[in-house]
Amino acid sequence: MKKIKTHCDIFCNVIDNYGDIGVCWRLARQLANEHGLAVRLWVDDLSSLVKLCPEADATLASQHCRGVEVRLWSKNFAEVQPADVVIEAFACVLPESYIAAMAAQAQQPVWINLEYLSGEDWVHGCHKLPSPHPSLPLVKYFFFPGFTRQTGGLLLERDLLVRRDAFQNDAVQQQAFWQSIGMDMPAAETLKISLFGYENATLHGLFDAWTVSAQPLLCLVPEGRILPQVGQYFGDNAPHAGSDYARGNLHVRVLPFVEQERFDPLLWACDINFVRGEDSCVRALWAGRPFVWQIYPQHDAVHLKKLQAFLMLYSGQLSQSASQAIEGLWQAWNMESGAGPAASTKPLVLSAVEGSGQATSTSSGQAWPAFAAELSELNRCAQDWARQLAENNLALNLLDFCREIGTMRALKIEGSKHENSTRSSRR
Amino acid sequence: MKTAQEVRVGNVILVGTEPMVVLKADYSRSGRNGSVVKMKMKNLLTDSAQETVYRADDKFEQIMLDRKEVTYSYFADPMYVFMDGEYNQYEIEAESMGDAINYIEDNMACEVVFYNDKAISVELPNTIVREVIYTEPAVRGDTSGKVMKPAKINTGFELPVAAFIEIGDKIEIDTRSNEFRKRA
Repeated sequence: MKKIKTHCDIFCNVIDNYGDIGVCWRLARQLANEHGLAVRLWVDDLSSLVKLCPEADATLASQHCRGVEVRLWSKNFAEVQPADVVIEAFACVLPESYIAAMAAQAQQPVWINLEYLSGEDWVHGCHKLPSPHPSLPLVKYFFFPGFTRQTGGLLLERDLLVRRDAFQNDAVQQQAFWQSIGMDMPAAETLKISLFGYENATLHGLFDAWTVSAQPLLCLVPEGRILPQVGQYFGDNAPHAGSDYARGNLHVRVLPFVEQERFDPLLWACDINFVRGEDSCVRALWAGRPFVWQIYPQHDAVHLKKLQAFLMLYSGQLSQSASQAIEGLWQAWNMESGAGPAASTKPLVLSAVEGSGQATSTSSGQAWPAFAAELSELNRCAQDWARQLAENNLALNLLDFCREIGTMRALKIEGSKHENSTRSSRR
Repeated sequence: MKTAQEVRVGNVILVGTEPMVVLKADYSRSGRNGSVVKMKMKNLLTDSAQETVYRADDKFEQIMLDRKEVTYSYFADPMYVFMDGEYNQYEIEAESMGDAINYIEDNMACEVVFYNDKAISVELPNTIVREVIYTEPAVRGDTSGKVMKPAKINTGFELPVAAFIEIGDKIEIDTRSNEFRKRA
């Protein structure tokens, strides 16, 4: 007998950059392609999706891409039949007509608010909590991604770590990657660094440190917000994909904007990855290599609290020197990032979070040597983290939770963890 | 209408058609400019309590309730007993006291809230002053107020205070957020 697919609507309101759509696009594809759901992704800015999925067409209000039905979320939202599972990403506000349609259903859909990623403790207490609608007979549930078992985990494709290991153990695949970006495979002694970031006032100091590094250093910079500062360092006002700079022991190559599928091999090919925002942070974690996270700057420097919360988790198993090294560089890199309030509230804020009473004023360039000296331990830590985090898969957890809610309402949700693990064990 | 962020412990809001008294409300910043409020609420019709979470800008209809100025008299487990100016006594269960439990002390003036003539919760002033009975020694040189350390007040409640606060100092506390405001 043919199974009836569970339908899922994901709503994505693109605020800026590619983080919101990046997470939604990954989730949509996983639910559709790995778990067999019929997924409809509603996006209010299709051009941002096109950057991540070039075969998508920004002029089409309705289309299918890689197993997902992509729909333009326009202001005049047409009346549609709500799905069995409704996911609002990052607390975006669903169209009123859609909410009314959900309330009118004989069987309530499972309504999830997929929240932002955070390592803060308060997330544990809010994960999976209900949010009964103030005036309609609907209940929404908050679902928090995170780094601990008390959260929903992280998005991880079923075969990602296998592909990563194959890449990292196969010189032919690596050679093909370097050729794809127009380069020869770097010499073994070259330290390879990817640099994907927001504007950062401390970049030039870091570059200064890299130019005098004892080891040759190759820095790959995908096009993005940090690029003008990269060009400025080398006296180039118009840096672009293909630009190539060298000073001292530092060689910088600018890459075209890197779409999701090509971003992972970039991270796998490098020894250290500088990443920004949520989605890239998660990908850097899966790469199992030391990384530096530039967190999305928020008002009132609240992002620094989030950074510190993650650092507390991440550096928990490190030696004191490695822990200090990673905290030093991460803090310095984030203190001077962005053009927003973070820059003006500088180091004391982090000290307030830590309660250490000591203001930190180390720049990224100053923090670099200590970080570089701890690379072997940081490498081990990164691999351990990837292994541990892989046991807490967001898509599986989300489907299991939807099934729990669905069961309460006698609603059949396909693609749960149980079904999936049975499938995996048969392979 | 009140946003979730404005809802205070002791308020009664309508959720669907159910009157719910808010027992606890914790505000947290999530991502970008989003924030969430975790609330513990009790259904006044069924007496069942539930933990919930809302976006800070979710809106609720607030039920206006009768209030009476009272002073706190004593605790008779599990009830907190308050008295009005005419010596009438009102009892509130410990579970319904919310964060007020952190600050309540003998003869403290506050407001008891009634629903259908039943005392259901107590509301404190937005700010109160309490004496610090224990904290680690002050950190010299830091007067920014941004470096924090734990401090215990006379009720036994502990909260983060500025590093320059010392034992015996009186501090102003925001009872809505349980946050230290300043040295009083």
